[in-house]
Amino acid sequence: MHTYWVRLNAVFFYGLNVLLGLSCCAWVSCLQQDLDFHSDLPRPVVDTVRVNELLSLRAHGGVDRALLSFDVQADLTPAFHWNLKQLFVFVLAEYQTPKNELNQVILWDRIVETEEQAKLDERNIYVKYALIDQANELRNTSINYYLVWDHMPVTGRLFMDKGFGSKKILPKEYF
Amino acid sequence: MLEIVEDQIAELKKLWKNKRLLLHQGLNLAMIVFSALMIWKGLMFLTKSESPVVVVLSGSMEPAFQRGDILFLNNQANPIRVGEVVVFKIKDRDIPIVHRVMKVHEKASGAVELLTKGDNNRVDDRGLYAPGQLWLERDDVLGRAVGTLRYVGMVTIILNDYPALKYVLVSIMGLFVLTNKEEA
Repeated sequence: MHTYWVRLNAVFFYGLNVLLGLSCCAWVSCLQQDLDFHSDLPRPVVDTVRVNELLSLRAHGGVDRALLSFDVQADLTPAFHWNLKQLFVFVLAEYQTPKNELNQVILWDRIVETEEQAKLDERNIYVKYALIDQANELRNTSINYYLVWDHMPVTGRLFMDKGFGSKKILPKEYF
Repeated sequence: MLEIVEDQIAELKKLWKNKRLLLHQGLNLAMIVFSALMIWKGLMFLTKSESPVVVVLSGSMEPAFQRGDILFLNNQANPIRVGEVVVFKIKDRDIPIVHRVMKVHEKASGAVELLTKGDNNRVDDRGLYAPGQLWLERDDVLGRAVGTLRYVGMVTIILNDYPALKYVLVSIMGLFVLTNKEEA
């Protein structure tokens, strides 16, 4: 009978199951580091995320837009392990306005693929994406700056972690 | 090869004569089909998403996700936050898009407006949205990516590129299930 086919089929699907099992093992092998339960493993450290210079704040096409540069110092190397493909690191501005309870805007991002790149020491870098409000409510608004990193594994769970940087109030007038 | 085909035909003829066995094998086939369906529907219920598993079809999220990776989605009610990778659908377009949320504006009522961008794209997604659409809303989002497996989706991509293969594969598999003899 068609035993070759049956065998091939069995080997193929057994192989798939093994791969799936190994993928799960890969995920489990890094759980301790990911979840940080009772471990003395070093954690990522965020030293600085702060505005270096505010370059402009004005209304631009009906919405407020701020251009700025900032400093970032952080050591994210502890977040790396063998099952991690990359970290998606970004600087987040979070603030509240009369119109919106919560505004979150990404100002700058970087894909970190190796442990060597995971020590961030950036000074006076210009925003990649301007701080643009949904309306014109940026003046005199207090803004929290965070550094956030998204773990993107080879196989496994996607999750984010963040560190608070600083808080700063934007000026009362356009300039 | 020819021998296998003849074998299969002989088996089918035998099956056709033995109605009881035919029924049994038919039920077997139905079992397989329905358990696949049940798993899918069960996942839909658990994740509250209309498609709990998606295949990445483009390179716009490289290097995070490549063509052929599969993503597991979760669409439970908790709010969407910036940085999350979401799968969304644009009105009048069939294929959902997997991109990262770059902006979140949430009103006190909970209504939320989002702007997305692919990691590998230079500009945000406003050009991909429907004409005149500036923001995504919660209803446009099918789910956020919570897990990933590599390469598994390649099968889907190949089957999509060569639709004929789909029918060939399904009929071969169906035939094998029908004629597969149980070893009691």
